[in-house]
Amino acid sequence: MASSLTPSLAPATTATSYTLPPTGLSEPTRIEPANALPSGNQPSFAYPPLYNFPPFYTLQPNTTTRQAQLQAWSGLIQSYCKYHRTWRLSLVDAIDTPLFRNDALNRRLSLADAQTVLDWMANKDAGGGGGRAEWISTKDKSLAWIYWRRPEEWAELIAGWVDDTGQKNTVLTFYELMEGEMTTSQEFHGMDPDLFQKSLNLLVKRGRAQVFGSEDQQGVKFF
Amino acid sequence: MNSKRKGVGLSAFTARSQAVSQFASHGDFLRTSNLNALQTQLSVFQSLLHQFSLTHAKDIRSNPTFRAEFARMCNAIGVDPLASSNASRNWKQEGSFWAQMLGGSVNDFYFELAVRVVEVCKDTRAENGGLIPLAEARERVTKGRAIGGGMEVSDDDIVRAVNSLKPLGSGFTLPVVGGRPMVRSVPKELNVDQSTVLDALQMLGYVTVSMLQDNLSWERPRAETVITDLLADSLVWIDLQDEETTYWSPTFIHEAAR
Repeated sequence: MASSLTPSLAPATTATSYTLPPTGLSEPTRIEPANALPSGNQPSFAYPPLYNFPPFYTLQPNTTTRQAQLQAWSGLIQSYCKYHRTWRLSLVDAIDTPLFRNDALNRRLSLADAQTVLDWMANKDAGGGGGRAEWISTKDKSLAWIYWRRPEEWAELIAGWVDDTGQKNTVLTFYELMEGEMTTSQEFHGMDPDLFQKSLNLLVKRGRAQVFGSEDQQGVKFF
Repeated sequence: MNSKRKGVGLSAFTARSQAVSQFASHGDFLRTSNLNALQTQLSVFQSLLHQFSLTHAKDIRSNPTFRAEFARMCNAIGVDPLASSNASRNWKQEGSFWAQMLGGSVNDFYFELAVRVVEVCKDTRAENGGLIPLAEARERVTKGRAIGGGMEVSDDDIVRAVNSLKPLGSGFTLPVVGGRPMVRSVPKELNVDQSTVLDALQMLGYVTVSMLQDNLSWERPRAETVITDLLADSLVWIDLQDEETTYWSPTFIHEAAR
């Protein structure tokens, strides 16, 4: 028994060594009441090992390496946005946040390279990032949706919750779903209203939901 | 016999030939008895080893340290469990040495582990060009991708697992680069210059063209050629944000974080 316990501790310690020291944890979690995650004691954001690798901040000329690099950036951006509940990422603002700059290494991803990363994420073709981002403004490429879940995945999640809680054929208001007390434990709680609408529209298109009402007082019925 | 036919009557010759034949027969006798003794010893030893492995099969499977010790013991007495498993498979229906000793589970263990190592190498190939430190490969296998998917293994296990791939002609090798044991999953000949730079990279983490010029007294084009080749094989990553362009070994990605 003891022999099986000792080695199992080893990977755990190496995993935690990537995370930042858990000091002052409770503060940021308390500030965000919109945070849908049920855990009151959220661990600090764990950067991937590549985050501390200086060449990560220079786009690699070798196509194979670059593909791995873009994949890693895509993963980092998704998990970072998920952690901070950032639905739309403004590149101009984000470029100076720890997401894109590592002051300890004195390295940063340039705005142009960050745009390349998001372009790649938005690409749904083979060899692309599988539509994990979408430019909101295609012209200046400054604002983009970050899809740690794509709209169709959000739609499934919401429809699934409605089904599980037996609320099919019941009219639910948008507010109830996004901000209501029933959904506080759900990942879509506190969701961006536009993305919420976007996801619901996919269900409406497939005839699985119907949206009622006007701007402020919208409701939805799932079939 | 010959000496008798010559009929010179010198009994000394007869005596000598008799002695020779006696020596020969006695030598034969000694050899057979020796062989018998050895065979008995071997069978006793094998049955003991068998008993031992049966009693400790669980430990051998679950405890990496124990497994390594067991494998080392086998090595010390000149039994290579994995090699013997390949040799014996052809002429014995009963299966390999490991299979006989441990009911197949240890043998299967190494083959399963080999599959994991291949997966790890494949997953990280784009990142590291197919050269991964043995310790990192072990860590990744230990962690596993799914919950409960990890295996408790030692470096020794990884080495055995990779060696068990040899009959497949898989091109997996276990080079030592800059004093660190590696698993190389892309079969490619590196020239002397490239190996030198890889060694330096393992020691320092990164190199620059001028570092290579200064320390190896290479001409600039020579240093640049080597770097270009290594870049093309995705064995180094480029960093343009330092005073001079630096080239980093991806094997340090998972160490920088520590």
